[in-house]
Amino acid sequence: MSDSMRLKTHYISLAHGNGGRYMRELIEQLFAHYLANPLLNTQTDAVSLSLNGSDIAFTTDGFTVNPLEFPGGTIGSLAIHGTVNDLAVSGATPKYLSLNAFIEEGLAIEQLERIIKSMAEAAQQSGVAIVTGDTKVVPKGECAGVFFATSGIGIKEKNINLGLDQIHTGDQILVSGSVGDHGTAVMLAREQFGLKGSLQSDADSVYPLTKTLLELPGLRFMRDPTRGGLASVCYEISQAINQEVHLFEHKIPLHKQVESVCEILGYDPLYLACEGRVVAIVAQQNAQQALSQWRQLSTGKDAQIIGEIRKGSAHVVLETELGGERILQELEDDPLPRIC
Amino acid sequence: MPDNVLSSSTDAKTCLQRVNTLMASPAAKALLDPDSKKGSRRFKIMNVCGGHERSISMSGIRNALHPSIELIPGPGCPVCICPEEDIYQAIQLALNEDIILLAFGDMLRVPVNTSKKTIRTLQQAHAAGADIRAIASPLEARQIALQNPHRAVVFFVAGFETTTAPVAGLIAEFIPDNLSFLLAARLTWPAVAMLLESDIPGFDALIAPGHVATIMGGNEWQFAINQFQIPTAIAGFTPESLLTAFYSVLRQQLEQRLFLDNCYPQLVTQQGNISAQAQLKQTMNIVDANWRGIGIIPQSGFALKAAYDQHNARLLFDDYEQQARRHRGAMPAGCDCAKVVLGKLYPYECKLYGRTCKPDEPVGPCMVSDEGACRIWWVHGAPRNKTKA
Repeated sequence: MSDSMRLKTHYISLAHGNGGRYMRELIEQLFAHYLANPLLNTQTDAVSLSLNGSDIAFTTDGFTVNPLEFPGGTIGSLAIHGTVNDLAVSGATPKYLSLNAFIEEGLAIEQLERIIKSMAEAAQQSGVAIVTGDTKVVPKGECAGVFFATSGIGIKEKNINLGLDQIHTGDQILVSGSVGDHGTAVMLAREQFGLKGSLQSDADSVYPLTKTLLELPGLRFMRDPTRGGLASVCYEISQAINQEVHLFEHKIPLHKQVESVCEILGYDPLYLACEGRVVAIVAQQNAQQALSQWRQLSTGKDAQIIGEIRKGSAHVVLETELGGERILQELEDDPLPRIC
Repeated sequence: MPDNVLSSSTDAKTCLQRVNTLMASPAAKALLDPDSKKGSRRFKIMNVCGGHERSISMSGIRNALHPSIELIPGPGCPVCICPEEDIYQAIQLALNEDIILLAFGDMLRVPVNTSKKTIRTLQQAHAAGADIRAIASPLEARQIALQNPHRAVVFFVAGFETTTAPVAGLIAEFIPDNLSFLLAARLTWPAVAMLLESDIPGFDALIAPGHVATIMGGNEWQFAINQFQIPTAIAGFTPESLLTAFYSVLRQQLEQRLFLDNCYPQLVTQQGNISAQAQLKQTMNIVDANWRGIGIIPQSGFALKAAYDQHNARLLFDDYEQQARRHRGAMPAGCDCAKVVLGKLYPYECKLYGRTCKPDEPVGPCMVSDEGACRIWWVHGAPRNKTKA
């Protein structure tokens, strides 16, 4: 068997980028297979490095979004928030970013300027500086307007030990705000479905949310649910700890507009992207404290305790309002609008 | 129409409680276990809409309901019964002609019964270079045809009345010269009538589809009461509406007072959407039609009227019509999708379910579409709950 036969498919499909099973297999079986080293852990948002006695967190992320501008953000602000958030949920204070821009021939400079301006605002608000960068222009048709890649460095306090391996039975699961807003807002902005709404993306820095929890003794793990949504983060947790992630449907904050769009198109909001939320796992005795700390922040005012870690098989079980249950499986293909 | 037995504004929990209380009543016990013997039968309610099945699965109604109620997904997925020969034709057209082929997203992943080395889905044809585009609204078809005036655009339409009506509206209003239709659209009620006419329908009560009734009118489902004496209620897509409908059909049965109940009064009227019906009538004939794996169901399909011959892809590209495939082209070997569609088997009772047939590599169409019972059950974790069906 040739090495590339490890993957079941022969070609890259869009599903290999959706944050679900295909993407995980691609990363594990191709990238991590060849690039493995003691520091590379594909399950963390940022790697921790020790340099001259300081602990730093280092991460990188790529950004493609259609349309380039959407209610609540642009690909520029997204490129800042994405990397800042990966550093923040690993327990670090984001500091310095690098930027790569791949620009398509024909993009209006005026639009690019708006995008870079929103990038600058996001960087300023997040307290980070872009300290190095590079630009490339590619022929028309080779990228959709502009793609960005940012890498970031953050400073970690000593004695912060967060990770999936810290999670115990009985720990509580918190989410900092409503889920699926970004995915829905971008979908509406595409105008593909003829649906309109005033919904804003939740794209934002989560650093204030993560910072306030870092002092809390029972903080176990944080993650920002992006592609694949809340359900995918919970799935990953259930697999890593081999226990049940039990969620209460009526506790999960959801915008009415997100609910309606999902109902029309047949999507499950729990799998839609967020860009400014945090899922935190906190020891039972500290959960209320964590919740009230979050609720004091403007980005955490809708925070909720949405579930708990239970003894049981490695599933995400959603307890519905009716008292029934359903399982949240790993995301397969990207959802398609339904017909009937 | 008699009043609803539960108001549609009652919340889901209350609705659930009332269904379960009614189910625990002596009258219900007598209905299901007339001889007070062990192993009493269950009250079987069939839905015929993928949207209903999704809502049932997502809200966890099945395992919150009284165990004597069985909810059976019936023929409610147009993708699942779209004839294999039509999908084959669409793939060949897209591969061999300089056309833009449009289809609803679900259709792109449905495999035809050819060897695994060949191109078996529209998605694979797209990867091989064919210009195939998934659309979400029929209006996009007109837009794409207008944007590409020098190319032929073929819209492959599978769907029930709800999808077909907007297509009829598009045709009736205005269609560019370069836009044609490969029509594989179906009506829902004839499949239900066929089940009811058979010796073993397999269900005690019927939940009629709310969206279809919105277009075609509630009256279309009156036949279930009049001809077959099956308690029937039209439901919407919220747990409340569905539970209200379950309560209604159960009570109809217990009181032997049958009437077509409308539990989706927000949208459904007896007459339906008159102008949509007129557009359907203006543009389409109702014909006998093949359902994949099931066969011909009389008067169950839509076909373009002769006035639109120049927009009928079946006539424009008649070289690609392969009636011979109809015999080869039922369900794939070993796949029980046809029985699942007819409510004769639960998804997990198919030998392939969850083994060789999963959403990422579907064998049968019911595992492809979000309206298909197999996919719905798999995605919402029925493997774990299969004993609770």
